[in-house]
Amino acid sequence: MVKRCYRFYGGLLKSQEKWLNKMAMKGFRLKRVGKLLYEFEQCSPGQYEYRVEFIGQKSPSDSSSYRSFLEDIGYTVFCKNVNLNYSLGKVRYRPWAEKGARISTNTTTFNREILIVEKKHDGKPFDLHTSYEDQIAYYGSLRNPWLFIFLPLLVLVIFNTTYLNGALAILSLFPIVMYQTQIYRIKKKLRIKEW
Amino acid sequence: MTALRDNVKGGALTEVTFCILLSLYTPRHGYAIMQFIDEITHGRLMLGAGTLYGALTTLQKKGWIVPCKKTGERKKEYEITALGKEVAEKELLRLRELSHIADRIIGGEHHG
Repeated sequence: MVKRCYRFYGGLLKSQEKWLNKMAMKGFRLKRVGKLLYEFEQCSPGQYEYRVEFIGQKSPSDSSSYRSFLEDIGYTVFCKNVNLNYSLGKVRYRPWAEKGARISTNTTTFNREILIVEKKHDGKPFDLHTSYEDQIAYYGSLRNPWLFIFLPLLVLVIFNTTYLNGALAILSLFPIVMYQTQIYRIKKKLRIKEW
Repeated sequence: MTALRDNVKGGALTEVTFCILLSLYTPRHGYAIMQFIDEITHGRLMLGAGTLYGALTTLQKKGWIVPCKKTGERKKEYEITALGKEVAEKELLRLRELSHIADRIIGGEHHG
């Protein structure tokens, strides 16, 4: 039996991950994704686990080599969009990305910002980022795009204070605070732990 | 990009780096490296795939490891370079010296 769901999570990576894992617990395994579509097939409950990762900062060659690295390890990988944009000749400037990824187009990294990684459950922990340094770098890559949304809004608020501008600026500040708090926590642990 | 705190001059590699270098004395692909480290540390050190990928990229940039030339194997394999071996051997000497000192102090208390 094929089950189709239409959802859009945008930048809510954790919510998307939780939902996919909940579906897996109910016995649905991800088969195909579209911009809004998630297509599942039946499996035994709890057979698969999911992690959702943001890779928008990676260059096209780096993201494809990362993807094949994960597939070599035995994971199944799906590419997903973080925006809901249907234009065909999209070109976007990403100042927060790594070198070689700052200009993003439909043919390179645009609409491929998220990886859904599936692993067959084997009782061992399934974490993609395990060292503190790596976790700090990862949360930094999640925070930076929001900085480039927040800062222009802040400038806008200073020159043209309206309720809408103010509300948008405050909204975009939430993810920054959230990721920064996580970075701060890990840095604190890093100071205590020695290896 | 993963930052690794390894310092060539001062020695002292991170455990992750040292274990990866050890695992690549024979060519291995990503999953084999994860398994090797899991085995030698009895599951104490578990590497996530993302962290391993970042570490492998950094170590390649340092010139301590290289991807193997096509071995017929579909999966990409890596192996340690001469420079990498030098670094690993230096680390072994450092650890040996340290464990010698520790032996003298801790071991001495127990037996003496």
